[in-house]
Amino acid sequence: MKATLARIRARAWNGQPPDGRLSVVAALIAIVMAMPVAYVVWRSAFAGVDRWARLLDTRVPGLLWSTVSLAVGVTAIAVALGVALAWLVHRTDLPGQRIWRWTLALPLAIPPYVGAIAYIVVLGPRGWVRDWLGAPPPVSIYSFAGALFVLAVFTYPYVFLVTGAALSRMGRAHEEAARSLGLGPLGVLRRITLPMLRSAIGAGAVLVILYVLSDFGAVATLRYTTFTSAIYYQMGGFDTLSATVLSVVLIALTLLVLGAETFGRRRARFHPSGAPRPADLVELGGWRWTALGFVVAVLTISVLLPVGVLVYWSVIGVAEGALDARFWGYALNTAQVAGGAALVSMVAALPVVYLRSRHASLASAALERLAYAGYALPGVIVALGLIFFGIRYLPWLYNTAGMISLAYVVRFLPQAMQSTGSSLALVSPRIDEAARVSGLSPLAVIARVITPLVRPGLLAGGALVFVSSIKELPATLLLRPAGFDTLAVRVWVEASESVYYLAAPAALVIVAFSVLPLKWLLDRY
Amino acid sequence: MAEIVLDTVTKTYPGITSPAVDALSLEIKAGSVVTLLGPSGCGKTTTLRLIAGFERPDAGSISIGEATVAGPTAWVPPERRGVGMVFQEHALFPHLDVASNVGFNLPRAERAERVAETLELVDLAGYDRRMPHELSGGQQQRVALARALAARPLVVLLDEPFASLDADLRVHMRAEVRRILAEAGTTAVFVSHDQSDALAISDTIVVMRDGRIEQVGSPREIYQFPHTRFVAEFVGRTNLLAGRIGEDGDSVVTDIGVAPCRHTHDLPPGTPVTVSVRADSLELDAEGPLRGVVREATYTGRSIDAMVEIQLADGGTADVLVHAHPEQVITCGDEVRFRVLPEFVAVIGEGGPG
Amino acid sequence: MSRSRLSIVLLLGIFLLASAALAGCTGRDSTPAEAPEVSTPESLVVYSSRNEKFVDPLLEKFTADTGIEVSVLHAGDAVVNKLKEEAGNVQADIVIANDIGALEYLRLEGLLASPGEVEGIESINAGYRASDDSWIALSARTRVLMYNKDLVSEEEIPSRIEDLTDPAYGGMFAITRGGNSGMIGHVSALRYEWGDERTEEWIAALKENAGAIMEGHGDIRRAVGAGEFAFGLVNNYYYHQQLAEPTGNNVGVVYPDQGPGEMGAVVNGAGVGMVAGGPNPEAARVFLEWVLLPENQREFSWASLEVPINPEIEAVPEARPISDYVVHAMPLRELGTVWEDTRTLIERAGLDLELK
Repeated sequence: MKATLARIRARAWNGQPPDGRLSVVAALIAIVMAMPVAYVVWRSAFAGVDRWARLLDTRVPGLLWSTVSLAVGVTAIAVALGVALAWLVHRTDLPGQRIWRWTLALPLAIPPYVGAIAYIVVLGPRGWVRDWLGAPPPVSIYSFAGALFVLAVFTYPYVFLVTGAALSRMGRAHEEAARSLGLGPLGVLRRITLPMLRSAIGAGAVLVILYVLSDFGAVATLRYTTFTSAIYYQMGGFDTLSATVLSVVLIALTLLVLGAETFGRRRARFHPSGAPRPADLVELGGWRWTALGFVVAVLTISVLLPVGVLVYWSVIGVAEGALDARFWGYALNTAQVAGGAALVSMVAALPVVYLRSRHASLASAALERLAYAGYALPGVIVALGLIFFGIRYLPWLYNTAGMISLAYVVRFLPQAMQSTGSSLALVSPRIDEAARVSGLSPLAVIARVITPLVRPGLLAGGALVFVSSIKELPATLLLRPAGFDTLAVRVWVEASESVYYLAAPAALVIVAFSVLPLKWLLDRY
Repeated sequence: MAEIVLDTVTKTYPGITSPAVDALSLEIKAGSVVTLLGPSGCGKTTTLRLIAGFERPDAGSISIGEATVAGPTAWVPPERRGVGMVFQEHALFPHLDVASNVGFNLPRAERAERVAETLELVDLAGYDRRMPHELSGGQQQRVALARALAARPLVVLLDEPFASLDADLRVHMRAEVRRILAEAGTTAVFVSHDQSDALAISDTIVVMRDGRIEQVGSPREIYQFPHTRFVAEFVGRTNLLAGRIGEDGDSVVTDIGVAPCRHTHDLPPGTPVTVSVRADSLELDAEGPLRGVVREATYTGRSIDAMVEIQLADGGTADVLVHAHPEQVITCGDEVRFRVLPEFVAVIGEGGPG
Repeated sequence: MSRSRLSIVLLLGIFLLASAALAGCTGRDSTPAEAPEVSTPESLVVYSSRNEKFVDPLLEKFTADTGIEVSVLHAGDAVVNKLKEEAGNVQADIVIANDIGALEYLRLEGLLASPGEVEGIESINAGYRASDDSWIALSARTRVLMYNKDLVSEEEIPSRIEDLTDPAYGGMFAITRGGNSGMIGHVSALRYEWGDERTEEWIAALKENAGAIMEGHGDIRRAVGAGEFAFGLVNNYYYHQQLAEPTGNNVGVVYPDQGPGEMGAVVNGAGVGMVAGGPNPEAARVFLEWVLLPENQREFSWASLEVPINPEIEAVPEARPISDYVVHAMPLRELGTVWEDTRTLIERAGLDLELK
C-alpha cells in the first residue's frame, strides 16, 4: 500500500518529488485559489432538480442568448477594428505610426464600466448629445447596441496588440513569394497575410470573449442583462442557490471557450517565424488621410472622449470639494486591499511557479491549473464562492477587508504567476543545484537565491495585481464589509445615482493607475 | 580506499522505457580524477546527478566516503552530501560578487579566510568584488571551481566544465584544473563527451554507453587497447578490420596483411577477431609492407588524415585511415607505402567487424 | 544547516508580513468579527437598504450625538439575503430597510431580536412596529405614478395600477426591478387583492409593456423629470425629491386606484430593526432609543421627504398626509408572511433579473 502510494507520488512528480513543505505550501495555495469556484459548483448540486429544471427552462435560454450574442457581436467588432488598426499601424505608411502603436492600446486602461458611465454622460437620454442636438441618439445607450458599442470600444486593443505583435514578427518572405507568384496587394492580404495571422487573431478574440463573459460593471450600468448581472441580482434579491446554478452554466460556457481555444491553438499550423526583416510598408497613397482619420476617430471614441468626460466632471467635482476626507479614505481603502492582494500574490506566486518550472510534472501542472481557476472566471462567481465558503469556514476573515484582498488574489494571482514565471525561466536550474550542493535546503534555495533573482518579475507581478485590483468591481461590491468602500465601489454607487461629479474623480484615479501596467503589456506583445 | 561506490544503481526516467543508468557499479578511489565519458544519452550525466543527489536511483545504492547517501533505506539530500559541483555553464549566482559566490553558505567565522585561500588557489586573488558578468569565460570557470572547492568537499563533481570554453582556453584550463584539483587533493568526477578532455585530465576513464559501463581504464589503456568496438570508435579514430589471431599469438592476420599485436586477450591462434588499428599506428614508410592509393587527404595542422585504398589479396579493396606527419606532402592519387606499429593495435572482440 | 533554518524563518517572515499587512487592512475597519463577544458601546454596524444619501447624514448625527462609531454597509436590496446568509456569523447590529415586509420577514425567520424596554417606542403606533418591537417603522411611503407635465396631462396616464399593462401605455413608463423592495411590497398587496394567478399574469404583461426597467427609483424620477418617459411607478417621496430639483422638475403625481370601489394606493414603510445576535447589542439599543427621539424621527423622514409614521412629527410641507387619500387595506405586517412567496412569484413571472 505504502509502496503503491510512493509509486503514484513518483509518477505524479515525474520521479522528482519536490521538498515536502514546498509542495504542501503550493498545494495549499492552489486549493485556496480553486476553492471558491469549486464551492459554487458543489453548492449548485444542492439546488434541487426543480430549481435546475425551472432555471434551465425559463432563465438560461434567454441569458445564453443575451450573453452569447453580445460576446459574438463584441468580438466581431473588436476583431474588425483590432486587425484593421494593427495592419494600418504595422504595415502601411500611415503617418505617426509610433504614436498610434501605444495610444491605440490605451483603452485597456479604462475599465469598461467607467467607459459605460462616460458614454451614458454623452449618449444617454439626458446626455450631452441631447443637450447639443435637442434629442437623444435614436438608439438608446441602454440596449444591446449600447453594450455592444461600449464593450467593443474598450476591448478591441486585445486584438490590436496580439495581431500587431504577430504582424511585426511575421517575416515578409511569404508575402513577397506570393507577389512573385502574381498576387496583387489585396490578394496577398486576403490569401496570405490574414490566414497567417489567424491564430493571433483567434488568441485576441478569445481574450475579448472571455472579457465579455466576465464583465459585470459595464453591462449592469447599461441595463443589459447577461449571466454576470443576472447572478448578481439573483444573489442579492432572490435565492442564492439559483445564483449558483446560473454560475455553473456560465462556468461551463467559459470552459467551452477555453477548450475551443486550446483546440484551435493545437491545430494552428502557422507559426509566423523567421528573422523579422522590417516589412516594406504598403503605400496608402490617397487613402493615407482617410486612414489617419479612421485612427483618430477610434482614438477619440475610445480614449479622448471618455477621458474628457471624466476630466470635465472631475474639474466640477474638485470645485465642489469632492476630494474631501472621505475620498482619501476610499483611496486609502483601495490602496490597502489592492496592496494586500499584491503582496500576498507575490508571496503565493513563487511556490507554484517554482514547482512548475523546476519540477515539471503532472502534479505541478495540475497545481498550476488549479491556481488559474479564478482567473478566467467572472468576479461575481469568485465572490459568490468566497461568500459561501467564507461564512462557513473562514468566519474570522469573512466581512473583513482581507476577504476582498483574498478575492483579488484568487482573481489575479495568475498575473503574478506569469510575470514571475517569465523571470524564473531566465534562471538556469543549475543555479538551484549549485545552491543545493553549497548546502542549502530546497526552501532556503528559494529564499536566498531564487527570490533575489526573480525580484523584477515578482515586483512586476505585484504591480499588475495591484492595478487589476484597483479596477475590480463585482467582487468588491459583494464582499466589502460595513463601512468599507473603495474607489471602484464609489464610482459605481455615485454613477448609479447620476452624481457624476463624485464618480469622475475616483474613476480618473483608477484610469491613471491603470495606464502603468500598459507599458509592461506593450513590452510583452 | 574507495571514496565513491555505486552498487548496481539503476535509474529510469518516467515515460521512458530504457533505463538511463542500468545496474551500474563503479568504485572511485579517493583522490583520483575520474571522467565519465560517452556520447549524449549514455547515462554519464545521470550518473553524476545521482552522485550529487539531484536524482534518486530506482534501485541500488550509492555511498560517498563512509556514508550511504542513496539506497533502499537511505537518502541524503544534495545539500548534506558534502560534494562540490562545477556546472557546464558555471551557474554562478548572478546577483552575488565573486567573493560571495565562493563564500556562499560557508560558516561566517572562516568565510573571509577561506575565500581568499581558494581564490588564491584558482589564481583569482583580488577579484573578490567583481560580478560574474564582468568575468571572462575562463575566470568564471575558476570561480565556479573555487566555489565548489571552498567548503573542502570530499568530492568535486564537474559536469562538462570545459564545454562552454573556446578551444585555446580549453586546453589551458584542462591543465589548470588538473593542477588545482591536485593541490586541493579532492576526488573529482568529470562528465565529458569529449575524448581529448577525458584523456588529458583523468586518472581513470569510464566509458559509458546506454547506461552501462563499456570499459574502465587509464587514458592509455582506453586509447591503446579499447575492449570494445564502441570504445575504439568513440575514443580517437580507428580502422576496424576483420582478422584472426596469428600463429605466434602476438600478431593478427587481417585482409591488409599481418599486423603485430600485443593485446590479444590471450586468445588462441586462429580465433576470428575484430582488430582496431589506430590511424596513428599506421606509419608512412617507403619500406613498409602495405601499399595503397591515396583517395582523400585532409590537412588538419597537426597531421594529415589520409584515406588510403588498399588492394586486398582477394582482389577487393579496403579503405583505411592513416595519420601522416603534417610536413609530408600527400596528394590524391599518390601511391603510398606504410607499416603498422604494434602499440596501437588491439583485438576488441571475437568475430568480424560486422 | 543553521543557515537553511534561518532562510526558512525568513520565508515565514515574508508570509507573516503579508498577513500582517492584511490584518492592517482588516484592523482598520472596526469589523465586529474580530471581537464578537465584546459589546462595547463604541461601535455599531448598520446594514441599510435605503439610499445612502438619506442614511449617512442620520448616522453621522448619531455618532456626533452619542460618540458611537458607525460602520454602515449600503447593500441595497441584498440586505435581506446577506442577513440570512450571515445567520451563523452575525455581523450587523441594526438593519435599516425600505420595506416593512422585509423587516417582518426577517423577524419571522428569527433574524431580529426584541430590544426589550425601549424608551420612546410608544410614540409609534403598535400597528407600525413588530409585535416584539424588533422592528419599528418610522416613515411611510405610498406607491404613486409620477408624470412629466411637459409630455402628458394627468388624464393621459392611468388612474389605476391595473391599467399599466394596457398597450395604450406601451413603452411610456418606467418601473424598477422586481427585486426592489418597493416593488416586492407592492406585489404583495396586489396578490392580497387579486390572487396569485392574476398578479403573475399582470407582472409578466407589465414587464413587456414598460418602457424601461431600472435599478432604482432614483433612476425613474430623473428619467421622468428629464422627459425620457412620460411617467413612472415610484414611491411618493421621489416625486417630492424631483420637485426639489433645480431642473426637470415639472412633474405631477397621481395617487392611483382612488375611485369608488377601487383598491386604494399601496402604502409601505421604512424603518429600523435590531439584528439578533449582533456584536454590539448595547449600541443597537442606544441607536433605537436615539432614533425614536422626535428630532431624529423627523430627520429620518425629512431626509428623503417621506411622511413620518408618528403623527406628532411634523411632515414635509409638500407631502400629502395619509389621511388625504384612500389606502389599500392590507395590514403592513402581513407583508412579512408573504414576502418570500412574493419574491418567488416575481421570479416566476420573470421580473427578477432583467433591466431594460
